[in-house]
Amino acid sequence: MSTPLINRLVEALRCLPGVGPKSAQRMAYHLLERNRGGALHLAAALSEAMERVGHCRRCRTLSESELCPICSSERRDATTLCIVESPTDVEALESSTGYQGRYFVLMGHLSPLDGIGPDDIGLDRLARLLDEGNIAEVILATNPTVEGEATAHYISDMVHRRGVKVTRIAHGVPLGGELEYVDGGTLSHAFHGRREV
Amino acid sequence: MMSGSSTALVTRMSSEQRVALQPAYLLHRTPFRDSSLLLELFTPGHGRIGLVARGARGARSKLKGVLQPYQLLLISWSGRGELPTLTGAECQDGGVFLQGDALISGFYLNELLLRLLARHDPHPHLFHRYQVALQGLIANAGVEWALRLFERDLLQELGYGLLLTHEGGDGKEVEADALYCYHHESGPQRIATESRGVLSVRGATLLALARGECGDAQLRRESKLLMREVLGRYLGPRPLASRELFRQKWPSSHEE
Repeated sequence: MSTPLINRLVEALRCLPGVGPKSAQRMAYHLLERNRGGALHLAAALSEAMERVGHCRRCRTLSESELCPICSSERRDATTLCIVESPTDVEALESSTGYQGRYFVLMGHLSPLDGIGPDDIGLDRLARLLDEGNIAEVILATNPTVEGEATAHYISDMVHRRGVKVTRIAHGVPLGGELEYVDGGTLSHAFHGRREV
Repeated sequence: MMSGSSTALVTRMSSEQRVALQPAYLLHRTPFRDSSLLLELFTPGHGRIGLVARGARGARSKLKGVLQPYQLLLISWSGRGELPTLTGAECQDGGVFLQGDALISGFYLNELLLRLLARHDPHPHLFHRYQVALQGLIANAGVEWALRLFERDLLQELGYGLLLTHEGGDGKEVEADALYCYHHESGPQRIATESRGVLSVRGATLLALARGECGDAQLRRESKLLMREVLGRYLGPRPLASRELFRQKWPSSHEE
């Protein structure tokens, strides 16, 4: 029953994460049989977003204007800069921390064995941003993986050299968690990073 | 720690292989499909192996904290072919973290192993030397020298061991205050003076590498250049990415 166009649609849907051949087929038939309006809307939204969403000139996050809303906001504190690996990390921090400063999005992390070096994650641009000289604190919020730690370390050296304060987010036991079920690495990190109360 | 009984744990069912609780270090991991990882691991009994960790990147995966480089793991796997499946992994030495520059030195160790070891070629002794080198990095003391000794042992294990205590050719003992140039095939050869374009090292450097005793800055520098030249021969023209990262971090220093 499938025609070249339907096949093409099924193939195209497989570029979505978590979508294999079977679910792609279900989606394609669902759209064709029951929701053509929604599908056209999706198609228009997709092509418009792909054409118009680029990167913020200042913080590299996804943005459809030259400066993203956070970078262009007057109310954000321009003297603190939080460094994260991806735009979804910005969303996560925005929705839960009440952080009022600005961000810098690396779009990845240092991973020499995959050939990803400092310039690939925009550290040349970060250096220029730091050299502008109105940043008082840099918060390193890269992921607690080996690559994330290496990235944080590399950036902390860059920041130290410029005499700016640099902090790293804490790692520890999840809220409401029980120590018994926390993995050894996290527990040990939490233990070593204990603080006086 | 060594897997003397690993052969007993390996049971061959038709062509499917099951291995349980092998000590291992993760060398590298890359995302695979939606939620899986491709792992490169270094084990004493099976050498460097590739495994698929299914679902290891998923939101509920408990393996995320475990499958990190530089910590001793106990891993189990099963399957046939070149890429068997990871069936279990636990951390053996919780609370050991590489920090700072040692992290980047660790990338260097891992990159050397990835580039120079063939898969499924067991090197139990080298596994032990890797552990020793990691201990050096964790202690964050004498990192540079720990890397040199690991390079020496790696070459030895691969069958390219350096001749350090005797001259090539006539087999005379190396003297600490004499000057030598190192030939890949024949080993050190005594020379009267330094000349341009030829790497020359003092006898003291060769002897220090042989004994594993660290010395002054010049000695460390000479060892580094010697090792870089010898390793370069086996690494081929593609540069080491971790060395490139060092170079970018300290444009003018001699760290490695």
